[in-house]
Amino acid sequence: MTRGEIKNVILEIIADIDEDADMADLNPDEPLRDQLDLDSMDFLDIVMELRKRYKLQIPEADYPELATLTSCINYLEPKLKAL
Amino acid sequence: MADYSLIIIGGGLSGLAAGIRFARFGGSVLILEKHAIPGGLNSYYFRKGFLLETGLHAMTNFAEPGDKRAPLNRLFRQLKLSRHDFITHEQFSSLIHFPGGSTLRFSNDFSLLQEDIAARFPGEIDGFNRLLAAVNGYDPFTPREWISTRVMLGRFVHDPLLTDMILLPLMVYGNSEEHDMDFAQFVIMFRSIYQEGFFRPDGTMKDFLALLVETFTAYGGEIRYNSQVQSITMTDHRASHVKLAGGETVTCDAVISTVGAPGTFAMLSLPRQEEKYAGRMTFVESIYILPRQTKKEVKGDHTIIFYCLSDHWQYRQPAKPVDTSWGVICFPENFQGMPLSDYFQIRITHAANYDLWKKASSLDYAAMKQEWGAQSREITAKIIGNYQQNIVYEDSFTPITIERFTAKARGAVYGSPVKVKDGRTPCSNVFIAGTDQGFLGIVGSMLSGVSIVNQHLLKE
Ligand SMILES: Cc1cc2nc3c(=O)[nH]c(=O)nc-3n(C[C@H](O)[C@H](O)[C@H](O)COP(=O)(O)OP(=O)(O)OC[C@H]3O[C@@H](n4cnc5c(N)ncnc54)[C@H](O)[C@@H]3O)c2cc1C
Repeated sequence: MTRGEIKNVILEIIADIDEDADMADLNPDEPLRDQLDLDSMDFLDIVMELRKRYKLQIPEADYPELATLTSCINYLEPKLKAL
Repeated sequence: MADYSLIIIGGGLSGLAAGIRFARFGGSVLILEKHAIPGGLNSYYFRKGFLLETGLHAMTNFAEPGDKRAPLNRLFRQLKLSRHDFITHEQFSSLIHFPGGSTLRFSNDFSLLQEDIAARFPGEIDGFNRLLAAVNGYDPFTPREWISTRVMLGRFVHDPLLTDMILLPLMVYGNSEEHDMDFAQFVIMFRSIYQEGFFRPDGTMKDFLALLVETFTAYGGEIRYNSQVQSITMTDHRASHVKLAGGETVTCDAVISTVGAPGTFAMLSLPRQEEKYAGRMTFVESIYILPRQTKKEVKGDHTIIFYCLSDHWQYRQPAKPVDTSWGVICFPENFQGMPLSDYFQIRITHAANYDLWKKASSLDYAAMKQEWGAQSREITAKIIGNYQQNIVYEDSFTPITIERFTAKARGAVYGSPVKVKDGRTPCSNVFIAGTDQGFLGIVGSMLSGVSIVNQHLLKE
């Protein structure tokens, strides 16, 4: 998957878990949590959705890597490269 | 391979919420419910053509859609239910009624309570506002030792009457302890009732339960009714299967039990520890149905009235079968925008004594119901006016009914005063969710199911 494709996957997952998510003005380098007003329970959904879709195991210690859109892409790029 | 990754014992609200949460990400899950329908404490039944709800006075934790941090909306996101499609009816207002004409009103607009406290207890409003600030700054989910609510309240509020008036609604709707409560639980209840407030879902509990069951099965979850679990069998210190009352066994990798701590321990062949885990607060409830045209004879237009007519309010198991000196009067039709029907209901709740109901013979039991029902109607008429002559149908339930239908030890609606907050049991793959884990009420018990799945089953 390319970085652009990974970005779309993340946005799609967020739209799916939060019907009120407003992604138009999302700054890719600011924490998603603050911008979208999401909590740790919602972040678990992103992790679980990635696991369900791509059989990707993300250990709890790595959750901070998913803080911003850019850090998500950086973290997932090597893991989803083959797909 | 086991038959299911997860077996959930109990198809009440916590079990259904846990089931949806687990099934949503593809886990195979079976809910085993001993009754013929879901819902547990919050279910429904039909009598004389009326659909009667067993538990619903009001849902707590009202929040507008879009308020993302609100517990109700977080719950909906976690279950992937649309909050926008979920139509709600907010309360009119509720009343706290104490002796000597002391009343306070509250609604889903917090300022009503502040105004009434300022008007009736002018010397206390500053302290109450400082209490509010303390509540707002408190994280009730951080694990800590039990803290006395009465001691904490004493720092802000000095009039014992006001203290009792603030406490009554919060205790009767969610305190498993007698007299005092853990301050964390107080904060949860203060927010969910005074700051967020009461509402009803559009439709009935039957519709709400159908939505949950549909969502669950759409994710591939399975639910079996009339399936009472008798025991959980261990292999190498881990639960490997559950055994049903009919003798059938089903294998699994993990178990979530929502039947309370004593019941779960018994299934694990551990001591029930009732002295420690069985709560003492239980209730009787009467449901009255009256023709709509007689509604104008009822005084006031409140949604829920929390009353006490004695000078010494005691949140305790009474020494007699029922304590009618205080209680709750609920009008399930008094929510904004509710469709009118030909009838309206009055529901009345009082604290009760489990042992006295338990030891009554069936003859005495029926007579006790009569006697206490009459006393309850007489006392509540002092607050809402006479309504007895207009009743067309009535039904009531006692601690014994609650015990029989939900397996809550001693009919304790709010379960154990000692909560198993992390949901762990002596068995590493058996977890407790629902009432005895610590979250109460409809929204609370569902959040409990969700958080136990998140914490112990998804994050591994
Ligand atoms: C009269 C009354 C009024 C209430 N009013 C309100 C209200 O207005 N607002 C509010 O928010 N909350 C209210 N509540 C509280 C609310 O109903 C409960 O907190 C909530 O429903 C608890 O859900 P639970 O899943 O933890 O437990 P339960 O509902 O007790 O679920 C446990 C389930 O397990 C099943 N079970 C038990 N043993 C077995 C077994 N061996 N095998 C298989 N299944 C088994 C039971 O049948 C039950 O379905 C009220 C409760 C009562 C009794």
